[in-house]
Amino acid sequence: MTVPPLHHPCWQRLAGGALSRLKTQHLGTQLMTKRLERSSQPLPLKAAEIHAFFAKWERALAAEIQQLTSL
Amino acid sequence: MNQLVSVDAAAQLIRGGAALCIAGREAALDRLPAGRWIGGTIPYFMLPEGGTVVADDRVFVADLGAIGSVSVTHVGADALADISARAPDNGFAYTILPAGSAAHARFAAEAASYPDAFLRPAVGWIAGVHLDDLGRVRPKVYDGRSATKHDDGAVVAHVSLRADQLATLEIVNLFEPDDGDVLTFDTTTFQPGSCRVNGEATSFAAYVAARGLAGGRVPLVGDFAGAHINVSLQRVDTERDVVDLYAPVFPGVEYRFARPIGDYAGAFRRRLADVDPQGVVLGCNCVLNFMHGQLEGHAIGGIGGPVTFGEIAYQLLNQTMVMVRVG
Repeated sequence: MTVPPLHHPCWQRLAGGALSRLKTQHLGTQLMTKRLERSSQPLPLKAAEIHAFFAKWERALAAEIQQLTSL
Repeated sequence: MNQLVSVDAAAQLIRGGAALCIAGREAALDRLPAGRWIGGTIPYFMLPEGGTVVADDRVFVADLGAIGSVSVTHVGADALADISARAPDNGFAYTILPAGSAAHARFAAEAASYPDAFLRPAVGWIAGVHLDDLGRVRPKVYDGRSATKHDDGAVVAHVSLRADQLATLEIVNLFEPDDGDVLTFDTTTFQPGSCRVNGEATSFAAYVAARGLAGGRVPLVGDFAGAHINVSLQRVDTERDVVDLYAPVFPGVEYRFARPIGDYAGAFRRRLADVDPQGVVLGCNCVLNFMHGQLEGHAIGGIGGPVTFGEIAYQLLNQTMVMVRVG
């Protein structure tokens, strides 16, 4: 499964808190999730950061990417 | 290469153009020539045959050039976001900071918020000193380009990988949170005076003392979206009503104290037996694990590396083994 495009509604949902429901053991994903949870930056910026993260690590995060649109 | 060598052998590697990370005592690192290397002071190491403490005649060398193409830089304490910002698109920023420096404190508090922190990851360790020299000697980092040492800022080797490779940062943390109180903190600080215990504000120092944990053998374990991230206790001062920590606590994170560990070496061996060694190219472990676990002379498995005053995997960690895997 490929990373959904930035305009896909999943990124706003993930930025709004759904990311915390992602099942992962990947350290970078966990630490980024916590950082965004603690951050007060606007949702579109969070959404763009999450998209950039999964686009960058697509090869290593197949199991996580499969969950993104269903969270 | 991840091994102890003589200072002369390390110097020869540098003169031959190798791109290296070198760890050892200050007197040893001072003897190295200029070249493509970064370094940091620390005399403690985990080797395949067990933990060891080196004298001035040997240094630990990691061949970064065997991993990828390397460029070396020194970053000031006011520009630490550059560690990741200047890292390659595909690779990592192998980073050493001196313990107790402004850079150490700032990186600890800020690292996760740097714009590229999770896209171009920093990994590495905190330079220290022999524990007999604590408070007398300042830890140093070395910019090999000029063979100069610094007691602040970060030295960074940006390692760029081939397009078909990917670097993954992994940790082995022996500590599990207990089932007891949930602790939270209202500010980011290395020195909390107060905390909230299950929501109730109280003195953190008094709480730690009352639980009999002032010896600092078990860390706080923070829940970072399921990742267990330790914060180790340096000293508990009930008179000043503060606790000095080796890493900051953060608001918005739930902490519990860890369950104690009896046999560190055995616990590491069990955990590392489950770690695929394929592609693991760099590693480091924590001096508190080394001391509390009495690891000198005891093998734990896994990759060798420096035993440090803090570990870096995206952000500052405590009492944790960190590994870089390239695959």
